[in-house]
Amino acid sequence: MTLIATRPGPGEARPYAFPAVQRIAVGGGTVVAAHLPGQLLATAILLLDAGAARETAGREGTATVLAKSLEEGTKTRDSAAYALALEGLGAELSPSVDWDTFRVGVSASVPLLAGAVRLAAEAARTPKLDPADVTRVRDDEVTALRMDWAQPGPRADAALRADLFGAAERYGRPLHGDPTSVAAVSAEDVLAFHESWMLRPGVLLVAGDLDTLDLRELGEAAFAGTSGEPSAAEGPLGVPVRDHRRTILVDRPGSVQSSLRIGHRAPERATPDYVAMTLAATVLGGAFTSRLNHLIREVKGYTYGIRGSFAMTRRFGRFEVAAGVQTAVTVPAIADTLGEIARTQLDGVTEGELEVARSWRAGQLSVDMQTPGSIAGALGTLVVHGLPDDYYATLRRDYLSATVEQVSAAAAAHLHPAGLTLVIEGDAGAIRDELVAADIGELIDADL
Amino acid sequence: MTTGYPWPIETTRLTNGLRVVVSEDRSAPVVCVNLWYDVGSRHEPEGQTGFAHLFEHLMFEGSAHVEKTEHMRLVQGNGGSLNATTNPDRTNYFETMPSEHLELALWLEADRMGGLVPALTQETLDNQREVVKNERRQRYENVPYGDAWLRLLPLLYPQGHPYHHSTIGSMADLNAADLDTFKRFHQQYYAPNNAVLTVAGDAGPAEVFALAEKYFGALDPVSSIPPAPGGHLTGPAAAVRETVVGNVPAARLYLSHRTHQFGTAGYDAITVLATVLGNGRGSRLYQRLADGKRIAQPDYIGAYGVDLAHAPAPLIITATAKDGVDVETLEAGLAEVVDSLVTEPVTGEELSRAKALLTTAWWRQVSTVGGRADTLGRYTTQFGDPSTAAYRLPQWLAVTADDVTEAAALTLKPESRITLAYLPQEKTEEPA
Repeated sequence: MTLIATRPGPGEARPYAFPAVQRIAVGGGTVVAAHLPGQLLATAILLLDAGAARETAGREGTATVLAKSLEEGTKTRDSAAYALALEGLGAELSPSVDWDTFRVGVSASVPLLAGAVRLAAEAARTPKLDPADVTRVRDDEVTALRMDWAQPGPRADAALRADLFGAAERYGRPLHGDPTSVAAVSAEDVLAFHESWMLRPGVLLVAGDLDTLDLRELGEAAFAGTSGEPSAAEGPLGVPVRDHRRTILVDRPGSVQSSLRIGHRAPERATPDYVAMTLAATVLGGAFTSRLNHLIREVKGYTYGIRGSFAMTRRFGRFEVAAGVQTAVTVPAIADTLGEIARTQLDGVTEGELEVARSWRAGQLSVDMQTPGSIAGALGTLVVHGLPDDYYATLRRDYLSATVEQVSAAAAAHLHPAGLTLVIEGDAGAIRDELVAADIGELIDADL
Repeated sequence: MTTGYPWPIETTRLTNGLRVVVSEDRSAPVVCVNLWYDVGSRHEPEGQTGFAHLFEHLMFEGSAHVEKTEHMRLVQGNGGSLNATTNPDRTNYFETMPSEHLELALWLEADRMGGLVPALTQETLDNQREVVKNERRQRYENVPYGDAWLRLLPLLYPQGHPYHHSTIGSMADLNAADLDTFKRFHQQYYAPNNAVLTVAGDAGPAEVFALAEKYFGALDPVSSIPPAPGGHLTGPAAAVRETVVGNVPAARLYLSHRTHQFGTAGYDAITVLATVLGNGRGSRLYQRLADGKRIAQPDYIGAYGVDLAHAPAPLIITATAKDGVDVETLEAGLAEVVDSLVTEPVTGEELSRAKALLTTAWWRQVSTVGGRADTLGRYTTQFGDPSTAAYRLPQWLAVTADDVTEAAALTLKPESRITLAYLPQEKTEEPA
C-alpha cells in the first residue's frame, strides 16, 4: 500500500478575528463598516426598518412590490437610463425584504462604490413610483408568485406558516405574500409604504477596503434628504406549542417526490439559548453527518438531502425539518424523522456529535465569511439584533465551550415532538391512505 | 495590461504526473484544497450515462483508511466546508478549511485518490444510487421546465457525441450500474497523472509541495487513460424544434446555438454577446421584451453561455410569456432581438455596460479561496497552465463591437437554431 495510513493532526491554529468594525454617525444615520484590506470588491447595504412585518393585513407583499418597483425610474431619470447608469458601474441593485428589514444592496469595485451607493440611495429614497408602472410590476409579481408556487415547496411552506402563526396574523402569511394578497396591493399602498418607512435614515453597512473608501461620503449619499427617528421595537411573540400533532396534506397530483415541512414555534433570536439550540439542531439536522441526513439519506436512500434548523427573527422563531422524499417512501421517511426528533429531545446529544457541531459552526465563521457580501450580511446581524462589535469572537468562544449538558438541555426544552405540525405536499391520491393508516396526527387537507 | 489574477501562482509536477498549483494569500486563516479530475460525463459510453456523477457520490463514502461517513465528519468536524460537482468536462472535489487542517484535507484527498476501490461495497453503491435518483427527481423531474437542459443536449449534439447525453444520466442506466464498472472507472481515471491539485489561501508553496509529495507522491500513475470520444463537429447544428405540452405555469422558450469552445477568442465574444443580450435590466432582451413590448416576464429572461471546453459550447437564450401573451408572439419578439445583434451594431454604451458587469462577476468569482482554487484547477486542466487564468478578464475587455456582430452573424443563424418550447396543458373540464 502506497498510502499513508495515519491521519495527520492539526497544525498550529492562527487566531480568529472578525474584520475591524467602524461606526460613524453622519447625516442623521449611522454607517457600520468592516475593514477588508486589499479586497478589490466592496459591498454596501442600506438597511431600513421596513420589513414585511410593517405591511397592512390583506396586502401582504406590498414591500416586495415596492422592492421590485425601485428600478422603474427615479425622480431624475427613467428606468432605462437608471439601468445603464448603475450597470455601467458593473453594479446591480439587490433590494430584498425579510421579516425585520428592507435592504437595498450594491456591490462594485472599490473606486466605483460611491457612485453605486448614490444610485442605490436615489432608487431607495426618490423612486418615481408612477402608478401605471407600479400596477404593472404588481401584476408581474402576481405572475411570478404563481410561477414560484408551481414549484414544490412554497405551498407547503405557506401551509406550515399559517398553521404555526395563524392565517389571520401577518407572521402566519408568506413573507412575500401570496398571489391573492399581492393582487390586492394598489399603487397607493406601495406609495404609502414608501412614505411611512423608507424615508428615515436607517443604517448603511459597508464591507471593503476602508483605507480607500470614504465612509463619510458614502453615508452622506445614503442619508441625503432623510428625516425621522427609528421606530420603537416590539416585543417577542411567545412560543405557543400545541399538545398534539397535526398533519396537513397539500395535493400536488403526479408529484414524484413528497415535500416535507415539519415544525413548531421557537424563541426569537435574542434567546440566551441561541448557541445551544443552534448546536442541537446541527446535531439533529444541520451537519452532513447529522442524525436526520445520516439515517434518511445515507442509510435509507429516501432523499437527496434533509435539513433541520431553528430560524429566528427579532420577534419569533421556528424549528423546521425540510426534505423532498420519493413518493413511495413518504410515510417511512416521516416515521424516521419523527423518531430522530423525539430521540434528540429525550436523550440529548453525545460528545462525539457535539464535537463535530462545535468545530463546524466555529470554523464556518471564518470559512463562510470571506467576501464583502458575506461580511456585510454579518454586520446586518449585529445591527438588527443590537449585538456588540466583538460579537463574532464571543460567538466562536461560546460555540467551542458549549457542553453536552447545555446542548442536551436546549434540545429537551426547545424541541416539541408531540406538538409538531407536519405538512406533506405530494400526490395525495398516492399517499393519503397510507398517511391515514399511519396515524401520525389528525389529517387535514390544505386550503390552498 | 490588466491582470485578472493578481495573486502569486507556483506550480510543480510530481514524478507520478500529479500537477500541483499553489496560490498563497495570508489575509485570512482559511485554505482551499481543490482536485480537478479530467473525467466527466463526456467519457461515458452508451448505457453508462450518469456514471461519472454517481461515482462522485461514492468518493464520499470511505476509502482505505477512512471509514464510511468519516470523510464528511472529519471535514465538517474540523470547521470545513466541502462539496464536489460533475459536469460533461470534468469532476471537481474541494474543501475550504481553517488553515491548520490543510494536511488533513490532503490526506483525505490522497486516500480516496489511491485507496477508494478496497472500500467500495455493493451496499454503498445501492444507497448512493437511490440518493442520485432522488437528486434527479428533485432537480429535473419534479419542477416545471426542470428537464430543459436534458432535452436541449440531444438536440444540440448528435448521437454519439460526448455532449449528447446529460451528466445526471438516465434512470435505466443508473439502475443497471454494477460495482465492477465503478471499480474499473476509478482505476482508469482517478490517477495522479489525470488530476490537478490546487491549494489557495493561507499556505505557502514550499509547505504544500512537500505535503503533496508526502501524501500523493507514492501513488502510481496510470499508463493508458482512455480518452473521451472526440468532440469534433462538422458545421453548425441543423435547426430543430421540440414542443413540450405539460404541467407548466406559463409558456417558455429556450433558443440555443452551438458557438465556440470555452477558452477561445470566439467564445470570449460570445460571453460579451450573452451579457449584452440577456444579463441585467440594461440588456437588449430586458429593455425590449420585459420593458418595451412587455411580452416577457421580467424575472425569467436571460442569455448565457455554458462554459464547455471540448466542443463548441452552447449559448442559451430564454424568455417566459406574460399572462395573455401567446407563444408565437413571444417567439417572434425573441427572434427579433436575437437577430438585432447582427443588424444593429452594439453601441459603446451597451459594450461598456457588459464589460463592467463581467468585470464584477470575475472579481466575485475569485473573491474566495475556493473560487480561486477552482479557477486555477480549470485553467491547468484545460489549458495546461494556471497563469492563463489571468488573461480571461483582459480578453473579455478587449472584445470589440465588431467582434460581437461577427460572432452573432456566424453563430446565431436561424437555420442553426435549436428551439425548445414549453406550453401549458389546456385545462380539462372537471368530471361531473
